[in-house]
Amino acid sequence: MSAREDDIKRLVIARLETLPPDMKVSVGASGEFTPNELVDHVKRGDPLGKKFIQIEMEFLRAMKEGLIS
Amino acid sequence: MKRCLITRPEHDDTTHFISKWMKEHMDSANGVEFIDLHRERANRKEVTGRLTKKNPQLVLLNGHGSDTTVAGHKDEPLIVAGENDDLLSEKIIHALSCKSAKILGRKSVKTGALAYIGYDDDFIFFYTPTMISRPTTDNTAHLFLDPATKPVSALLKGQTVSEAYQKSQQAYKDQISRLLSSKATKEETAMLRYLWWDMKNQVALGDLQASF
Repeated sequence: MSAREDDIKRLVIARLETLPPDMKVSVGASGEFTPNELVDHVKRGDPLGKKFIQIEMEFLRAMKEGLIS
Repeated sequence: MKRCLITRPEHDDTTHFISKWMKEHMDSANGVEFIDLHRERANRKEVTGRLTKKNPQLVLLNGHGSDTTVAGHKDEPLIVAGENDDLLSEKIIHALSCKSAKILGRKSVKTGALAYIGYDDDFIFFYTPTMISRPTTDNTAHLFLDPATKPVSALLKGQTVSEAYQKSQQAYKDQISRLLSSKATKEETAMLRYLWWDMKNQVALGDLQASF
């Protein structure tokens, strides 16, 4: 994993850790997860974790390009 | 009278929340006869029979999905690209379902559906599990499900597919703007990227001037 990917992973985890632990997120057919469960998926780098990393990266790119305001 | 078929599976938190949100829209609609395939009735046999015999002009599909499929109760595949998407011919479809616009939506429009509003990738929403008995009053779910269900209320009022889609996109933008402001809590700010994700992946296909 590159240093940049590692930074993104840490950022995603930091974002997820700000969420109330009793909240849940629905990710369609993948199921429903608490923020802590999502953190575990991101740490493991499994398909669900990669999806959340992809979302963060695309979001940051859109912010950088001024597409979100 | 206008006729609308709606599927409302309810076998997990996701389908429960979406089903209850859809019920609110049904209750506030005027002059519409609903074919409400709720819980166990959201099965392939019922969907096939009702679409064929009752010929609803608007189809609201709610349930888990994939690129090619929208599922019903307990994830039974209801509409599958290349198998039975011709059932959607001459209809306007709204699918609150992951990914289904990507292949099923495009295929159904090619096969003859008037229009299809849905998502090209996973539809994500946050919710408060303790609000499971009152899903429509959950402020967290509201952040996501209010913009996501805007096309439904617009279509039921007879607005065009384009208007319905734009209303939803605008509602997403409004929520995002609010979450970017200093008024938002840090929890809400953390959810911002997922709201943006849903907005980005929502698409309207086919004849955008079609209306119900």
